[in-house]
Formats: sequence, C-alpha cells, structure tokens
Amino acid sequence: MNFTYPKTPSEAVSGALKMFGESHTTATIWKLSVAVLLASLAFVFYMLFTEGHAAFNTSSDGVNWGSAIATYVFFALISSGLTIIASLSTVFGFKQFYPIAKRCIWLAIVTLIAGFSVLALELGHPFRMLWAVPLGMQIHSPMFWMGVFYTIDLGLLLVKFYLMWKEDWDSPFSHFIGNAGFMAVILASGMLGLLFGSMAMRPMWFGSATSVFYILSGVLSGAAAIVFSVHLAYGFNTKNMPEPLRLLAQGDQLPKVFATLIGIVLLFLLTRIWVGLWSNIDGMEGFVALLKTPWFHIEVWVCLALPFLMMLTPSMQVDPKWQVRASFLVLLGMFIERLQFIVAGQNVPMFKGTWMNAVTPYTPSLTEWALVAVGISAALALYALGDRLFNLSDAPKVSMEAAGQLARG
Amino acid sequence: MAKWGMVIDLEKCVGCQACTVACGMENNRLPGENWQDVIFFTEGTYPSAQLKWFPRPCQHCENPSCMAVCPTGATYKTEDGVVLVDWDKCIGCKYCMVACPYGVRFYTDEKPLVAPDMRKVHEGKESHSWNPPWKMPDAREDWKHGVGIQPHDVVSKCTFCYHRISKAPKGTPDLDPQDPKLREFTPACVVTCAPGARFFGDLSNPESNVSRMIGDKRGVRLLDQLGNKPQVYYLTGDGGAVPSSRAINKKV
Repeated sequence: MNFTYPKTPSEAVSGALKMFGESHTTATIWKLSVAVLLASLAFVFYMLFTEGHAAFNTSSDGVNWGSAIATYVFFALISSGLTIIASLSTVFGFKQFYPIAKRCIWLAIVTLIAGFSVLALELGHPFRMLWAVPLGMQIHSPMFWMGVFYTIDLGLLLVKFYLMWKEDWDSPFSHFIGNAGFMAVILASGMLGLLFGSMAMRPMWFGSATSVFYILSGVLSGAAAIVFSVHLAYGFNTKNMPEPLRLLAQGDQLPKVFATLIGIVLLFLLTRIWVGLWSNIDGMEGFVALLKTPWFHIEVWVCLALPFLMMLTPSMQVDPKWQVRASFLVLLGMFIERLQFIVAGQNVPMFKGTWMNAVTPYTPSLTEWALVAVGISAALALYALGDRLFNLSDAPKVSMEAAGQLARG
Repeated sequence: MAKWGMVIDLEKCVGCQACTVACGMENNRLPGENWQDVIFFTEGTYPSAQLKWFPRPCQHCENPSCMAVCPTGATYKTEDGVVLVDWDKCIGCKYCMVACPYGVRFYTDEKPLVAPDMRKVHEGKESHSWNPPWKMPDAREDWKHGVGIQPHDVVSKCTFCYHRISKAPKGTPDLDPQDPKLREFTPACVVTCAPGARFFGDLSNPESNVSRMIGDKRGVRLLDQLGNKPQVYYLTGDGGAVPSSRAINKKV
C-alpha cells in the first residue's frame, strides 16, 4: 500500500474520509466496520431508549452479568495482552519484535476503547460513574482498582503511541512510559481477574489463580490479535510487508511464543475443569453443566487444541495461512471462554424465588448480540483508521537490521 | 447505637407469604420483585419427599460482601447495622448482586416477572421506574437510603423498612408489633406475620428478646461459612431447617 501518512489532524480527518473512496483491504475493513458500527449502535440505542436494560436477557434471578460483560472482558484482556507483547521489544529488549510493537500499542488502545464502550452501554448510569467512582474511593472494591489501573493503562498507551508516532523509540522518557505501562497493565488485567476471583460465594470463579489465568489468557488473546491483524493489514500476503515484519511473520519465533501460550491456557482450562468436576463444594455444579455444552468443546478442542497442534507443526507454523487460521480460532475460543466463564459462575442458583433445581439458562438477547457487534466493529474501524493513518509497521530504523538478523534466527 | 436484627422462627412460619405481600405493599415493589421472599423447595424423593419453605429477606450482614465490592460506596452500612443502597450514587454495575450470597438484590430495569408489565401500565414520573397506585407517602421517600419507588437502572433491596425503624425511640430493645406504641416503627413483614414467627430487635442489647431467643434456642445463620455474618437468625427447632445446599444433584 503506497500511502502518504498524514502529519496533521486535518490531514488525518481528510485521510479517514478519503478511505471511503479507496479500494484496498484496510479501506474495505473501514467501510464495512463503520457500516456495522452505525447499524448496531443505532439498534442498541433504540432498544435502550424504548426497552431500557430490560432488552437484555440478564436477570436478578440468575445471570446478572451476561454477554456485555464478557465482551468487555474479552476486549480488555486482548488490550492487556497486546501491551505485554509490545513490551517484549519496548521493555525487555527483544528487538526482533519491534516491527509489531507500534501496531500492538494502537490495537491495545482501540480494543480498550471498544471494551469500555460496551461496558458503558451495559451500565445503568455510565456518566454517574465518572464522578461517583473517584469520589467514592472504595479501596476495598476490586472494581474500583480495575478502573484505576485501566485508566492509567489507557493514558500510558496513548502517550507511548504518541511517542512512537513521533519516532521517539529510545529516549529515557519513552522507556519510562513503556515500563510504567507494563506494570499498569499487569495490575489492570490482574485486578480484572481478581474482580471475579474475590468472589468466595461463587466457587467457580474463586481464587487468586483467576488473576493469573486472566493475565496469561490475555497475552494469548493479544498474540492471536497481533498475528491476525498483521496479516490482515497486508491483505494476507506477506510479500506486501516491509522486510523486518516479513521476516518476523514468516519466522518461527512468534508462532512458538503463540503455541506456548496456547499450551499454558489449555492446561489451565483442563486443570480447572478437573478440579471443578472432582470437587464437592456447593456451587461447582456449573462445571458439569459446562462439560455438557457444545460451546465448551468447541472452545477447548477446536479453538485451542487444534491451533496448538498447528503452531507446533514446523511446516504449518511458518505458513501465514495457518497462522491466520490459528489466530482466528484462538480469538473465537477466547470469546467463548469469557462468555462461558462469566455465565457458568452465576448460573448455579443461590437463594432467589422459588427454589431452582437446575442450572439457570442464559442466552444473550438480540440487543446483547448487537452490543457484541458494536464492540467488534468499533475495534475494527479504529484499527483500520490507525492502519491507514499512522504507519503501524514502523520501527526504529537503527535497530531493524539487527532485528532482521534476530528474526532469521 | 442499636444493631438491628431479625429472628425468624421456622417452626412457627406457615409459609403463607403475608410477609412478602406486606413488604411489596409497604415498599412499592413491582409484582414478582420480592425484597422479602419465601422460597419453596422439596427435599427427598417420592414417596418420602417433603415440601419445605424458607423465608428470606436481606440478611443485613455484619460483614456485607455487597458493600465491600461496590465501587462507588452506593451500598453502605448505617451505624445501626442496616445495609442500604444510595440510589443517587448507584451506577447500576450489578457487582453487589454478583457478590451477595443470598440473592436478595434486584436491578430495576429487567424483563417483567409478571404480565402485563406494570411499569407500562402505570408509567413512572420524575425518574421513578413506575407509578404504583398504592405508593407510600412522598414524605417517606428517601433515595439516599433506598426507600420508596426506585429510579431507573439502580439496584434495590430490603431496607428492614428503614423509614419505620429509624424513627423508633432510641434505646428500644425490641420493636414488638404487639406494643401499640412501637407498631408503626416495626418492619412491615414483622407486623403482618400472622403466626408471629418474626421478631425484630437490637442484637447488641443482651436483654433484648431477639438476643435471648438466639441464645436460648440456638439461632443459626444462613451460609455462615462465607463469613458475611448475617443479622437475620433462624430458629430451626425440631422441624425447621436452614438450607445449606444449592439443591442440584451433581452427576458427572
């Protein structure tokens, strides 16, 4: 793609508008995602103004948090994972990963914005949150700290991206922002896990391992998102990529990191289900229900075990086609995981109304699915915008030769 | 300062649900959204199955997990031991609902539990979620304490009829509805309980009737192992039981 990247805000706006008339992969994603975003947002607002949150299939009688919270968690953890992957080069000095660092940071920003947008539409009073949370200072609440750390995370991501845009890769300030961002994102994603892990009354969520799982599965989601988006940006053709990026995309280093992460998450999921089925503690019955749903098996076997094998097979791991397939499956699997984890933790009934003798069913409503579409299309639209306007494959010039050599192994 | 608590004698409770209806009328509840519920369930299998019931208001815990998780401080505990929701601070995140082990909290805007949807039949005015024909006097409405017809998109729950008990004479050990002077300060469910299975009083006063009953009759608390330490005690005697299981048979 031969573009002139805009230098001023007005050039950026005209560049975004011009994209409606262009015909390349990024422009197609932009046009489609803007259309889907407008349509789904219009539908969600219509339903919220006419039905209110009654348009959701959540209820006080069972599943209080549904697909909207799962979508928020899905995007927030992708964002955290992408920041951690960007840190491989910007914090830990693995120079071979520099060609994806800027794209990771931009994607981390847009996925966090997409996640926050979905969360805001799920909340009863999103604007009240802006003053009630800081003034409340409820330091005992994991949700309070999640908000604090994700806000800091977003601020640092924006500063880091601005510095990268200005080609400041190596100044002490840039390094400081990178280091601070890494710490903030570990705390943010860990606290998001603790938001669920603190719930002693919901044994399927309970435990500090939930935090660790959230961080690790977040990194896996981030890895899948960056593998997929790199190939998407170049029309699934590595020949279009600049050389340092092509070397990374065709090499076996990123796929090996990817495979390791899939393996860890798979092990975590399987050991969790083992403990869940074995344990007799009240409230663990949800694991039995989980095992009976086809979605659980699609997630574990199709969306994790299969990509794990793909990325371990030497011929497949360096083939962009299989990398794209594996990353798409992992992203799908992670979405299923977020939804299943959140729903299964709630649908073993506690004390409400007429005694329930079964797991409370939950299926997202059309409005809730539209909210999922809002999140995905917002992330894709902003991603396409960044891809067109900010030269996301940029990397520090002096380091690139060394990076190329490292990527070759 | 008093620490208000409730004692429910399960041997006396007949499962008539008068408490549920009285609570609904007193607190302007939507049909089906019962701040105070009586849960019916069966134990055992045919031919030796038993029908049981269990009255369940908010437990007004000593260590309420709902309060600990609230990111804004909308859920708080008063000095006299009552857990309340400030509807002016609630952002509707529902974290408290997720954290409450007793399932006693309600979100205002959900699918109607009873048809037709009373919120559409009696549409609310001035931010009220609905306009019930039997509403409490406006002077008693108090959103800071979660009292009255709740606004849109907030969480609500039993207040121990805070608008009544907070007006009780200071130092009263028990709010006994048999005493004409105290009747108007006693929670509606206690006043209406026909078999007299409910008692309300000051748990911090060892001389109160509720404290003595808890000691003499071995009062137990629901899901005590979770550490929330409810201020609602149940007297089980020989016939009653506090359900400890979620009643799902685990079959792998």
